Amino acid sequence: MRPIRLACGVAAALLATACAATGTTTQPSTGPQAEAAPGYLAVADDALPPGGTLNAQVHIDSGAATGYDPQLADVATTWQLLSLSYETLVTVGPDFGIEPLLAEKWETPSPTEYVFHLREDVSFSNGRKMTADDVVGSFERLLASESVWRGQLGPVRSVTKDGDHTVKVTLKEPYTPFLAALANVPAAVLPMKEINDRSVDPATTLLGTGPYVVEDHRQDVSWTFKRNEKYWAKGKPAADTLNITIAPEEAARIAALQNGSAALATLGNVDSAGMLAGARDVQVVTQATTDLYYLMLNTKAPNSKFADPKVRQAITIALDQQQIADIALGGKGKPSAVTPAGLPGACDPAALPSASKNADEAKKLLAEAGAENLTFTLSIYSTQPAPAVAQVIQQNLQQAGITVKIEQMDEASWSGKVYGKAPADFDAALSWFAGYADPGMVTKWWNPEEAGFNVGFMTPDKELNALIDAAGKEPAGAAREKALAAVCARADTDAQMIPLVTRPATVAYRSDALSPSLYSTEGYGNVLRLVADARVKKTR
Amino acid sequence: MRLLMWWSGRALSSAATLLGVSVLIFAAVRLMPGGFAETVLGPFATPEQKAELATRYGLDQPVFMQYGHWLAAVAGGDFGISMISRQPVGAELLARLPVTAELSLLAVAGSVLAGVPLGVLTAVRARPGGGGAAGRLLSGLGVSVPEFVLGSLVVFVFSRYALGLEIGAWVPFTEDPARNLATMVLPAAVLSVFAVSVTARTTRDAVMGVLVEPYVTAAVGRGESPWFIVRHHILRNAAAPVVTLLGTIVAYLLGGALIVEHVFNLPGVGSYIVQAVGRRDYAVVQAGVLLAAGVFILMNVVIDLLVGVLDPRLGVTAGRRS
Repeated sequence: MRPIRLACGVAAALLATACAATGTTTQPSTGPQAEAAPGYLAVADDALPPGGTLNAQVHIDSGAATGYDPQLADVATTWQLLSLSYETLVTVGPDFGIEPLLAEKWETPSPTEYVFHLREDVSFSNGRKMTADDVVGSFERLLASESVWRGQLGPVRSVTKDGDHTVKVTLKEPYTPFLAALANVPAAVLPMKEINDRSVDPATTLLGTGPYVVEDHRQDVSWTFKRNEKYWAKGKPAADTLNITIAPEEAARIAALQNGSAALATLGNVDSAGMLAGARDVQVVTQATTDLYYLMLNTKAPNSKFADPKVRQAITIALDQQQIADIALGGKGKPSAVTPAGLPGACDPAALPSASKNADEAKKLLAEAGAENLTFTLSIYSTQPAPAVAQVIQQNLQQAGITVKIEQMDEASWSGKVYGKAPADFDAALSWFAGYADPGMVTKWWNPEEAGFNVGFMTPDKELNALIDAAGKEPAGAAREKALAAVCARADTDAQMIPLVTRPATVAYRSDALSPSLYSTEGYGNVLRLVADARVKKTR
Repeated sequence: MRLLMWWSGRALSSAATLLGVSVLIFAAVRLMPGGFAETVLGPFATPEQKAELATRYGLDQPVFMQYGHWLAAVAGGDFGISMISRQPVGAELLARLPVTAELSLLAVAGSVLAGVPLGVLTAVRARPGGGGAAGRLLSGLGVSVPEFVLGSLVVFVFSRYALGLEIGAWVPFTEDPARNLATMVLPAAVLSVFAVSVTARTTRDAVMGVLVEPYVTAAVGRGESPWFIVRHHILRNAAAPVVTLLGTIVAYLLGGALIVEHVFNLPGVGSYIVQAVGRRDYAVVQAGVLLAAGVFILMNVVIDLLVGVLDPRLGVTAGRRS
């Protein structure tokens, strides 16, 4: 019998160890993330010598179906990787401030005119100097493309150059998010001379002004970046080589961090911070992003259960965003209106019309709509924390007598169901947007005439669309905040897409191997935004 | 001549099997829910972009025409282009094959080195208190626990207590053999647990069947030592079912590699197929499954030949000799 006991003992020990490993995940942190400096979660130690190899792991590769063309990149994971080689005229600084990048300064002679003065010392990685022609050509190419970012740039009337280092952009009407939209990868300055003479195809070759050049890329396996020796910012990038491994399994990324083979990794599960608690030399930080979970209610399906606004409003009232943030996101997310929480000028979700009502009023609305005992299916994909968010939604709505069946599927099946045809074939679905860097940007996706992907399940609301446009024109200040508040209130009443909570980004790094810089906030899902500053202490 | 006929028969049946697999997998990927366009291009894609993608990969043609074009291309060695990476699938499979081959070889080696001795031991000590119950318990556990459960457990445990082994940091063998093995040991161990259990059980049954043969009794009567009897009389005679099983195990390991490579983040054929299924990358899934079927068929041919060498009575032309 001794061998049986031994076998049982070994099995029990393994299980106990695993339980101990997961047992550290229970306490959500609701307090604010400690900052290393105002606006920064970590600041690279410049006293450390530059050089070395930085090994990082991320969960997903670029969406390369459209190639490497930054103008066609439409997801944050692609922006993050392409931002290592491409740069924009302006960039996002701490707390969403817009800062110079390839333009050393700019002027705004009128609300519809922007004059950018370009840095004169900037070269593409092939050694050719960047000129105003590259900037003008990049604008024209983007505006003529099918890029989703074309709409975010706003009503651009003309782009002209004034000499080799000055570019003037004229808008048809004021558009406050313009600079924030310019700060993202799709608005990068491309090597237009090479693109026009067809010596470079941006779909297959990365040739930008950024700190790194691509040495090797194997789709869904890895990227190897080498420092751009012609980079204009002196002393940057600090690390000579940047290896990025694509590791879809979160547990494998955590293991790589713990054994030191990765110095930095992105984590998707809010519980991962708990799993790494106590791990020697591993720091886990949570970046507050503007990424935003939202609930889609399909009003276009035949016999839609949500055709009556009262039903949708009842659902909005019954949802407890704070509970979603606390339970599903470990206290790291924030309740949000359509303007992502955390952005300057964003609406206060507590001031929305639905926030002052309770479950009884939700039941009353359902009764008025003849929708007592409402039952619907919520389609979600299986990537965490979406299932956890869905479970809290299910429990919230149960309080108002609404039964939610959760239909969990892989992302491809989910995409096909939600975006595959019009009218779409689902009751309700859960997803998230990148929230960008200005509160007037993501609100555009609440207008299905602007955001074509919504057309299968969302009916245009003329009043909401007009308010979105009006808010875009208001200059920053009290009047704009009032205009945005009107957008938020109308979207709350329309309730075809219900904003829920912001989606935090968790980043872990080895403090014995790396001294990184990380902003406390991020609008474009770019954890690697400041990677050129990172100092490598040691490489395994 | 008989051997030539046998080879011809096997070639024909293999071709028919591959053709059947090609039809099944081609149909299966197109029956999967979720459109390729939404998955590959994302929600922001315009109808024009989706149409352009379909045209570029011939997915706007009738399905039977798509199948015909694909089959003709595969017959010419062209497995198509990945919709995600826009790179040739054949080249990527070739680049990833060494990872899966190494993983499978290590797992097969583990199965033989652990499973056969365990099976022999539990058979020759099949008496109360001889450890047979423990062996059955362990092999029962090994057969019952799925790879994704065991793999996740191992990743959790070895994240905390690495013991010199690495997870999530694969390097090619040619670059750093020691580190490569350090990253392959755990996935190979997880992959081989099922195979070890089945091999041990099959070996035990085969050995117990041989133990009651008269020539074993005669050997005992001659006073030969137990291990001499095992080596010279039992192992070879009990080998045929075990070798046959190994052919099946290789096929099983290819299936298991899908999960294990994904869990341990190994850039092999398995993880390539898993990612392709998730992203509806049709050409990759079709080529990957066809490759796996080809390996399975090839392994069965090899096993048939090997069994004939081990026991000429069971050889490929044995039936016709009598």
